[in-house]
Amino acid sequence: MKIMVPVKQVAALDEDFEFRDDERDVDEDFLLYDLNEWDDFSLEEAMLIKEKAPEGTVEVVVVSVGPERVDESLRKCLAKGADRAVRVWDDAMEGSDSVTVGGILAAVAKKESPDMIFAGVQSSDAANGSTGIATAAALGWPHAAVVAGLEYAPGANKAVARRELEGGTLQEVEVACPAVLTIQLGINKPRYASLRGIKQAAAKPIEGLSLGDLGLTPADVGAGVALSRVRRMYVPPKGRAAMIEGTPAEQAARIIEIIKEFKGE
Amino acid sequence: MKSGKKSNPNPSLKRLPRDMTAQALVSVALQSGDPYHATAVYEVADSVARIALDTVLFDGRRNALALARWEHTPPVVLQALARLNDASVRQRVQRNLGTSGQTLTELYHTENSDALVTLIAQHRRTPAAVLEMMARESDNDEALKAVAGNPAANATVLRILHARFPRRFDAAIATHPAASPDLLEAVYETGNEYTRAAVVAHPACRKRLLTQAALGGNPLVLRQLAGNPRIPPKLLARLAQSRTLAVRRAIAGNAMLTTELLTALAQDESVNVRREIALRDDLPPSVLERLAQDGDHWVRQRVARNPDAPRALLDKLSDEQNAEVRRAVARNPACPAELLEKLAHDENGWVRAAVAYQPKAGAKLMKILATDRAVDVLSGVAANPRASQLLLRRLAQSAEADVRRGVILNPRASETVLRPLLKDPYYLHRVLLLGNRKLKDEDKWPLLADPDNAVRFTAMRWFAGRVKGQG
Repeated sequence: MKIMVPVKQVAALDEDFEFRDDERDVDEDFLLYDLNEWDDFSLEEAMLIKEKAPEGTVEVVVVSVGPERVDESLRKCLAKGADRAVRVWDDAMEGSDSVTVGGILAAVAKKESPDMIFAGVQSSDAANGSTGIATAAALGWPHAAVVAGLEYAPGANKAVARRELEGGTLQEVEVACPAVLTIQLGINKPRYASLRGIKQAAAKPIEGLSLGDLGLTPADVGAGVALSRVRRMYVPPKGRAAMIEGTPAEQAARIIEIIKEFKGE
Repeated sequence: MKSGKKSNPNPSLKRLPRDMTAQALVSVALQSGDPYHATAVYEVADSVARIALDTVLFDGRRNALALARWEHTPPVVLQALARLNDASVRQRVQRNLGTSGQTLTELYHTENSDALVTLIAQHRRTPAAVLEMMARESDNDEALKAVAGNPAANATVLRILHARFPRRFDAAIATHPAASPDLLEAVYETGNEYTRAAVVAHPACRKRLLTQAALGGNPLVLRQLAGNPRIPPKLLARLAQSRTLAVRRAIAGNAMLTTELLTALAQDESVNVRREIALRDDLPPSVLERLAQDGDHWVRQRVARNPDAPRALLDKLSDEQNAEVRRAVARNPACPAELLEKLAHDENGWVRAAVAYQPKAGAKLMKILATDRAVDVLSGVAANPRASQLLLRRLAQSAEADVRRGVILNPRASETVLRPLLKDPYYLHRVLLLGNRKLKDEDKWPLLADPDNAVRFTAMRWFAGRVKGQG
């Protein structure tokens, strides 16, 4: 039995940064890379299922689409206990949108034949929330999004997922397997990688897949086929924010006035 | 296609050098090429070695930007970063709380941008002499505002600002710890009610002004006045009878309150006043007795924490229905051993956790509580100096990071207990252990090859501290 966990290396920003000359992204020197927070939870969910099952019966494979720097995040997943790591990249993939990335992940899934795919609900940098669902669509598999609780036994033909909806409500859904689930933060408590795990992960191979390995061509990926593209990235002009002057008591009094104004009192 | 990461261990990281010198550590940093090693060793390196370390530190803009922003970057490295010809790096150095006054002074003399000068004006380490220059010469409103609010500004800086821009910075001056009595008086004369209230709360405010302010009757001013321990006793007594709740509440917290007044305020109709009274550490037994019967559980809880509470009172409060009150009894430094034993079996985990953290709880209680299932209770036992080494060894293997951290922070934990935790999965635990003097250098040395930047930095910083001052 195999669980595929698509992961993404996301970029975080400090408060001060510069844009690239083409104004479509932040200058890479100002970006800090790390494993997407949601993917930490989806990997943990897969690991919990693996650890509950008899030893050697569940394989967890992490997959990422991205350049060489992404290996660092994949090794983090290996250090936490994933069995294998696969990185897919070709320079032609640069500029792919989330639907195209979903298609690439689906091609990996066809090659790997997993029983389940656990993706994160969204990535913290792009926040499209669509890659997992696009993967399900490309595979023609059922899916459940924003999963905050899961009952699934390895090899079962259905899973019960509790989806987080608005207003603190949960929706319990039964999904036929194989399926793609997008996992929500808080579903479990992700582990820290042990030092031993980190050392072992450093020596483990990361399998590389090219477009050809997946039966794809440069014409199937990249900015050219993207259904959406970034036109411009910018910091919007500041809104109605204002510094409240005065002593702390004066500032507190003004805040009370503002609250009353908004409440129409 | 498979690619394995080639492991290329640095041989110098394998073994503690026999001769621990600054030069040996610099050599390790240069061989590893690790900017976090280089950052940690920079302070003990001589000027020639620093030139070599610069190539590791500033190799690529990413490194420089990251180090300029990092909260642990030592002042001497920030000074080197400030000299790079990169406005974004300089901006981060100006924001970094670790930047020294000397670096900020150098930056001020070369900085043209108003926004960056404002960052220097805000920085807590900017020397008063630089702030004085800004106060005298600058017309940048944002920077001047930052100067007025900077705790590093002295009385001269504030006086200059007030003379150059009368009234504009009154609010900042009235709340500034360095404001002189003269300046406070001047600000009081021209300020609004909020500024006046801040002046009468100021420790440097003249007594004459305190009496004058009381005559005005403004509730906002009276409230601040009531909290000032320097007000005359007669005024204190008068304000204790104020009809305004906020004034009585402030009086209830005044350190100079007489027994008579605090006895009266302990019966105040407002629960907020009684809560404030219950927080005091000078309550006579009769007042404690009365407050222990208060209908408000916050009042009773505060009495339960009071080390002067008589034994009989603690006994009674330990039977309270409200778990917060029972927990407060368990946290009371004067709680007797017999009561702790009773509370160790409390149904509420937070109460048991309070017992577990109690330094007065004996070894027998520690043994009982170490079998508890609640993480907070186990964390308390792990941190308690009364826990035996045997218990600590067991708790050091807990799956819960909080429990293991308790062991790491336990001042009695032995080297044998702590050594395995140097491999703890949580990086902060490894950072904490690097500062522990019970662990040997040879056990700490391998952490120079740790996967985490902060751990490698802290490890090298530990060894740099050992050679500092060797000449």
